[in-house]
Amino acid sequence: MRRLLLPVLAVVVALLPADVGAAKKIRIVTTITDLADITRQVTGDLADVTSIATGVEDVHAVPMKPSFAVTLNRADVVILMGLEMEHAFLPGLLEASRNPKIQRDQPGYIDSSVYVTPLEVPTRLDRSLGDIHPMGNPHFNLDPGNGKNIVRAIVDGLSRNYPEHAAAFKKNGDAYNARLDEAIARWQREAAPLKGKKFVSYHPDMIYLAERFGMIQFGTIEIRPGIDPTPAHVADLIERMRQNKVDLVIRELHYPAGLASTVAQSTGAKLVEIPSMVRGVPEARDYISLIDYNVRTLVNAVKGG
Amino acid sequence: MHRLLETLIRRAVASALAVMVVAGPFTAPAQQPGGDSQLRQEIDALKEQLRRVEQQMRQQEELIRRLTSPPAAPPGAPPATAPPGAPPPPAVTAPPRPLTPPPGTAPAYVPDVEELKRMVLQEIQPQLAAANKTFPSQFNPAIGFVVDTVFSHSRQNKSNFEFRSAEIGISGNIDPFARAYGIINGTTDGVDVEEAAIVTTSLPWGLTVKGGRFFADFGRLSTFHDHDLPFVNRPLVLDEYVGGESQADGVEVNWLVPIPHYVSFTAGMYNKIGADNERVDNRVPRDLSEFTYLARLSTYFNLTEYLGVDLGTSDAYTPEVRIEGLKPRNLFGVDLTVRYTPPSQAAYRGLIWGTEFLINHEARPGIVPTEDSPNQVFRFKDAFGLYSYLEARLTRRYYPGVLYQWVQDIDRPSLVTWSISPYFTIWLSEFQRLRLQYAHVDSNRPGTRPSDDQFFLQWTAVIGSHVHGFRDR
Repeated sequence: MRRLLLPVLAVVVALLPADVGAAKKIRIVTTITDLADITRQVTGDLADVTSIATGVEDVHAVPMKPSFAVTLNRADVVILMGLEMEHAFLPGLLEASRNPKIQRDQPGYIDSSVYVTPLEVPTRLDRSLGDIHPMGNPHFNLDPGNGKNIVRAIVDGLSRNYPEHAAAFKKNGDAYNARLDEAIARWQREAAPLKGKKFVSYHPDMIYLAERFGMIQFGTIEIRPGIDPTPAHVADLIERMRQNKVDLVIRELHYPAGLASTVAQSTGAKLVEIPSMVRGVPEARDYISLIDYNVRTLVNAVKGG
Repeated sequence: MHRLLETLIRRAVASALAVMVVAGPFTAPAQQPGGDSQLRQEIDALKEQLRRVEQQMRQQEELIRRLTSPPAAPPGAPPATAPPGAPPPPAVTAPPRPLTPPPGTAPAYVPDVEELKRMVLQEIQPQLAAANKTFPSQFNPAIGFVVDTVFSHSRQNKSNFEFRSAEIGISGNIDPFARAYGIINGTTDGVDVEEAAIVTTSLPWGLTVKGGRFFADFGRLSTFHDHDLPFVNRPLVLDEYVGGESQADGVEVNWLVPIPHYVSFTAGMYNKIGADNERVDNRVPRDLSEFTYLARLSTYFNLTEYLGVDLGTSDAYTPEVRIEGLKPRNLFGVDLTVRYTPPSQAAYRGLIWGTEFLINHEARPGIVPTEDSPNQVFRFKDAFGLYSYLEARLTRRYYPGVLYQWVQDIDRPSLVTWSISPYFTIWLSEFQRLRLQYAHVDSNRPGTRPSDDQFFLQWTAVIGSHVHGFRDR
């Protein structure tokens, strides 16, 4: 075995990175692309930011690739959505990363949900209710108001780790929040036709967006969070949607198209397909253009465009 | 915020009542017999008490005034400095609301209840989260429970409801430096500690040390519990060469090599590897040469965004196996897993191809001892075996697959068993699964049917804590 071990060690030592002495940027890994974009706005040129998800995934089913463990191993900071949104992949990857700096409750573990007021916090924890999140619905990134809360959490978290850059983070964060304020005022005006519109989504991930723009979540195609629908559930949903004149069926682009389309056609509701993350569609280049795209798509659907 | 105002008002009322109660007996003592000096002392004490109550009321009034003062200055005016302790402006943009001051009062901005609630919730959210973590029961380890049961039918073994296992899994952090976990498994054969291990969590240089009883890092599916396998039964080659699950009592060091490419190296030392490996008794101490030593190297190639390849090689070496005349044993394996996963459809589309190939080099009993030649004769034999399976993910619920196996007998490599098994898994939810499997088995081993057909229906469920471990990908 010794004969095998020594050549392996020699190869490994030869491959060790030689980046000592270079002006090092902060290496930040975010779980989703929304966080990557907002983090870039906050850090400017001070950091290299990488996202685990590319934007097209279901955030509850991001593949746990070993290459992510390497990325996390080299990270100074990990920024996550929190509220157990990344339960399916982040804890396993963090353990595999062997990076003590970014483990849960360490300073390098920045939870962007700390200033968010969670919605749909379950009053009872029971698996018969589906794959529920004990701390509340984690899809808060789709409400641009919470974008500002994310900025605040990232500024605070990064300043805790890098106090020497705290002023720069705050300045950048304030500037970005001002842009968000302007955009939010515009979205509020543009989204006026959405007020009071009833919708069904595939998964219960639109509640924050609905709260922001006054929409009413009527139900979900999933029978419970994370549980695929049964024929009886779909039949019942279609019947109730007809009776209550539901306006929209929202399909998050990472869910199957067929069933959402069938439900929309059977009820006369308009089918809307929107991404749930930055880069979920080419137009959603960053966080502001993601919300732009979603608001525009929903409003067009309501107006019949 | 509504509650805060209520509390303040309640306190003010309570303070006023306190003053009345104090003032009540103030006149009474004058009717009581007693010296003037004593009466004066009591009056002074009551005055001091009254002064404190008045001061407290003034503070509360000031607090109410601060909380209801306008958050923003008029246009053109310099920004107002927030008083200490006052909440910051809301992070969520709220539309401006028309305000009408009550008659006879100064115009003042009065935030509505919803806005105040949002401001307070935003402020106290981190503290609430922190407080939640201090509940004593939060320190209890996470507990999960798995039930695995199988109905089987075959021409050779007839039919049976097989209660495979009821498994309790416990895990939690020990301290900042390590975590521990245990898997206690009850079967028809009794209760067994399947795993109970301590794992370091904060070693530098990408190192992890694991000690206790655990599944040694040999190959891929050897490290899976029975109920986590992609098919009903463990592949024959793992059952026969490894001894089922790669359970081992010992210590293992794993190193994530610090290069941009994923390379993981494991070295371990154990009493033995394999839950059903009966060559070595865990309870009997042994020489250092009789331990099993393991080395494993594994890597991963991200060929495209959709396609990834896991490749690993493992070697378990035992210098001297006592019951085999102190001859060495070497078990070598190569494992390959190819995954096709479209990122946007990862929850309900995909394809996985997994293969393991094992070679067992070992001194096995050559001839049966007789009176004329009582000494057992051991001869080195090389035996090969493999399994390969292909599984598709058609929806979030339906996973069909097929498993092929081919394995030589360890003692007589000319005896070969092979089988082919189509199977169909239905995930009712992430926590409950049904699996139907058929296996056609051919074997030239004596004592077995040359050909057998087997049917299995497996029902598996998990309650309580569950984790998506990196090892179980």
